[in-house]
Amino acid sequence: MYSVRCIELCKTYRQGEVEVIGLDHVNLEIKEGGFVCLSAPSGGGKTTLLNAIGGLDTPDSGEIWLAGDRIDHLGKGDLAEMRLHQIGFVFQAYNLIPVLTARENIEFVMEVQGVPAPERRARSFELLQEVGLGGLGDRRPAQMSGGQQQRVAVARAIASRPALVLADEPTANLDSQSADQLMELFVELNRHHRTTFVIATHDQRVMGYARRVIRMLDGRIVGDEQREAA
Amino acid sequence: MMGNLRIVLRLAWRNLWRNYRRTLIMLTAIFVATWAMIFMTALMRGMVDDMVKDSISALPGHVQIHHPAYRDDPTIANVIAPPDGELLEVLRRPEVVAWATRVRVPAVISSERDTRGVTLVGIEPEREARISFVADDVVEGRFLESRDDRGLVVGRRLLEKLATDVGKRVVIMSQDQDNEIADRGFRIVGVFESKLAQFEEGFVFAGEGTIQELLGVSDAVSEVAILGTDYRDVEALHRAVAEAAGPDVEVLPWQELDTYLGSMLAVMDGFVVVWIVVIFLALSFGLVNTLVMAIFERVREIGLMLALGMTPRSILSQIVAESILLLAIGLAVGNLAAWATVEPLKGGIDVSIVAEGMEFFGAASVLYPALYLKDVVLANVIVLVLGFFASLSPAWRASRYDPVRAITKV
Amino acid sequence: MSITFRLAWRNLWRRKRRTWLTVGAMVFSNVILVFMISVQFGMYEMMIDNTLRAQTSHLQVQAPGYKDDHKIRQVVPDVSLLAAELRQGLATEDVAARASAFALVSSADRSFGLQITGVEPQFEDRVSSLPGLITEGRFLSDSMAEEIVIGRVLARNLRVGVGDELTFIGSGRDGSFAAAVVTVVGIFESGMQELDRGFAEVPLGFFQMIFAMENAGHAIAIMAPGLIQVSSTRSRAEALLPDGQELMVHDWDVLLPGLKQAIQADFVSAWFMYGILIVLVAFSVLNTQLMSVLERTKEFGIVMSLGVTPGRLGRLVMLETTLMGCVGMFLGMVLGGALVLWLNQHGFSYPGMDEMAGKFNLPSRIYPDLSAVGLLMGPTIVLISSIAASLYPAIRLQWMQPVKAMRAA
Repeated sequence: MYSVRCIELCKTYRQGEVEVIGLDHVNLEIKEGGFVCLSAPSGGGKTTLLNAIGGLDTPDSGEIWLAGDRIDHLGKGDLAEMRLHQIGFVFQAYNLIPVLTARENIEFVMEVQGVPAPERRARSFELLQEVGLGGLGDRRPAQMSGGQQQRVAVARAIASRPALVLADEPTANLDSQSADQLMELFVELNRHHRTTFVIATHDQRVMGYARRVIRMLDGRIVGDEQREAA
Repeated sequence: MMGNLRIVLRLAWRNLWRNYRRTLIMLTAIFVATWAMIFMTALMRGMVDDMVKDSISALPGHVQIHHPAYRDDPTIANVIAPPDGELLEVLRRPEVVAWATRVRVPAVISSERDTRGVTLVGIEPEREARISFVADDVVEGRFLESRDDRGLVVGRRLLEKLATDVGKRVVIMSQDQDNEIADRGFRIVGVFESKLAQFEEGFVFAGEGTIQELLGVSDAVSEVAILGTDYRDVEALHRAVAEAAGPDVEVLPWQELDTYLGSMLAVMDGFVVVWIVVIFLALSFGLVNTLVMAIFERVREIGLMLALGMTPRSILSQIVAESILLLAIGLAVGNLAAWATVEPLKGGIDVSIVAEGMEFFGAASVLYPALYLKDVVLANVIVLVLGFFASLSPAWRASRYDPVRAITKV
Repeated sequence: MSITFRLAWRNLWRRKRRTWLTVGAMVFSNVILVFMISVQFGMYEMMIDNTLRAQTSHLQVQAPGYKDDHKIRQVVPDVSLLAAELRQGLATEDVAARASAFALVSSADRSFGLQITGVEPQFEDRVSSLPGLITEGRFLSDSMAEEIVIGRVLARNLRVGVGDELTFIGSGRDGSFAAAVVTVVGIFESGMQELDRGFAEVPLGFFQMIFAMENAGHAIAIMAPGLIQVSSTRSRAEALLPDGQELMVHDWDVLLPGLKQAIQADFVSAWFMYGILIVLVAFSVLNTQLMSVLERTKEFGIVMSLGVTPGRLGRLVMLETTLMGCVGMFLGMVLGGALVLWLNQHGFSYPGMDEMAGKFNLPSRIYPDLSAVGLLMGPTIVLISSIAASLYPAIRLQWMQPVKAMRAA
């Protein structure tokens, strides 16, 4: 079964006075447990595609299927519900809610889902260990480095055991050492939990971790390459 | 949902203290507003309460019975028979705290030195003492002892104007039942003082029997004054008395006897609400502004929460909760401060530098602030309810953000 | 237009909604203040004017002690003559002599004790509104006429009408028995309970004869051209008083201390309320300007590193506030002024006002006038306090360090 399936996706949006083509008849299938990099120059359409898959944005036409369910016609509330339970997000930066501690950020999604406190507690403890931040749970985002913050974001993304994690330029604001550590964490999680990862990036080193690299240009898929990951 | 509520509250609380300067400024504003609402209301209430109480104890009682023509033409021609039969039975009921009859007519009082126009009141001293203040306020000499007492009790100011003294004789002139001038010498036996100068200057008291004899009206009286348990609630008493007294006499509650006071009380009720609302509105601009700023600073965060799957409803509740928390803290401090200011002033605020001005309004020169629970509740409820509605608009806008745009906003 | 000015103006509209909300607070308070102050001053003026015109007038010449005791022996000798001299000396006709005494007034059915005032029929209308308030009959004709005018309520209580006779009995200046029969020639209706119920006027000459006053009276009422000229008129009148006699000139506020104090008490409580409104606006401004300064920390840091002094930046912030305050003041004055003008045409009342108005010598519907004071006073204070509130954010800038500021997020 496919984790993600896009059929003939089209999307245009306005940027100031100009009409920009975001997605141009995109067809894409990603298998469960995949580890995919979306690579494109700025404005190539990778963020638009990621947002469409994540239900943050609706396409003008075409279909999106997630784990066998069609999502492109869902309403705002249903999309929120779907994001809450099925998808984990990691964004560029400023990814955490500043007034919550690392642990509370991780528990945030679970708390909104209504997971009971003891279970949340146990899970966030386990996740902090897993992303290598045991002992930093009570720090607020401002008291942590960029790499540490992104790890918290990752922990939060996988906290509710989503089948799919979408990451948009997760390493953009990190030094190379932190970026490597983050990618290793992704690979580890992918292997361990069979979580599907879709990572939008234009960082060559990030692509080095992927088993499949999809290249986009001007909203079209121009390359799709399977590789043996490092 | 409960889990949601907790996280919503936690976020609201922590966000409140992120920009502590702004929050503190806003809290101070809410505190000042609340304090002003409650303190000012307490002062006004105190003033009007006092006016009503003084004025009621200064004569009317809660309900009065008169000859229908008496109020327009308060002379000895318009008298009624003293209570008997059914009316007397009503007056013996427990809800009647006290009642008394009076003969009350315009008269002229002359000392050796001067002459003044006054209201002459013939009273039953034992009964009257339970209704009006005169008995307690006698500062020199004695109060009247029986309804046939031949002495006269006058106010301190009148005594001075007439340049006479306790023990001296004065002449009282009034019109009798046959329209003839009846006059009679009285010895001044007591002097009273009152908070209201015009009362001290304009009223003299004598035994009811003595006056009836002077004016030739046998046992007829000008009015029956009845005191119930609470001046704010006289309707039932009024109805009972009116039924028992029959159609030949006029039975009126104090609000209608003194329309100025009655309307003052009503105007004050309205004014309290207007005052609270006006203050709130002045405050609301700052409140909405604070929320708008807080939201503006957090656009990206709100986008993030929406992207993570928090519902727009939760965002809305979070911002409304922030506003309500802010208001609640401000209100709590404001209430406390108002209480702390009113409490030490319970003994009265001396405004005697404008005593004659207060008299002009019919108020005494000492203000006793009166903190009513219902006013405090009213102020708090108005602020919270209107505050809720004022914060809906910015909160609504925030909850409608498009997560993609919000999250990428720099 | 200087560049600083343009900069301040544009900065103001960078965050439109915030600026409008702050301006909104100012406009709201200004409208309330313009409305309240106009109504308040209008009411004071009416209270003073109605009361003074009906009773005391602006100034009175009296014997010492008369104002407290009102004794018939405390006289102004040769009162008509002195009144004539004052008329000449002050170059105004608005001077009238009076005398008053207590008497028992009786009709066929009723008797009431009341204060009877002797007035000069040809001059009384210059100092008092009562002659003009006669609704039935006419005012007194001649100084020696055996006539009386009384209030509407008194006429009803006495059960008399125009043409009926009244007798009054009192005691004269020398303690003698004073009595006379007079004809009711006019009934006035002032709307003031006190006057309508217990006031009567007879001609001065006749009064002097009955009460054995010879040529003496008790007061000379003087109307100044306006409230503002009261004290200057008073000093001129004082200079004209004959030497060797102990006479005094009293202001209206001495004659009617209650009136002035009532206004003072009302004024203080009203300004307490206005003060709260103004403080709330000031907080709003403080909040906005502080936020606007904190937001621009980085920007200010850059500008400072270019060599702009903190003092100049502080002035910029104050200028922004002043501009914002001026917009608020302008809109507040326009809206508030429009409201007052509208009420000036249509009047304004509130439930319960009827009963209260009679007590304060006011009509039951108020038509406030738009005056410069009413229009400017509130908004000016709001503007000044707004500028004062922005002092704190402006002063904070003085401690700002450019390098640290530039690094701020």
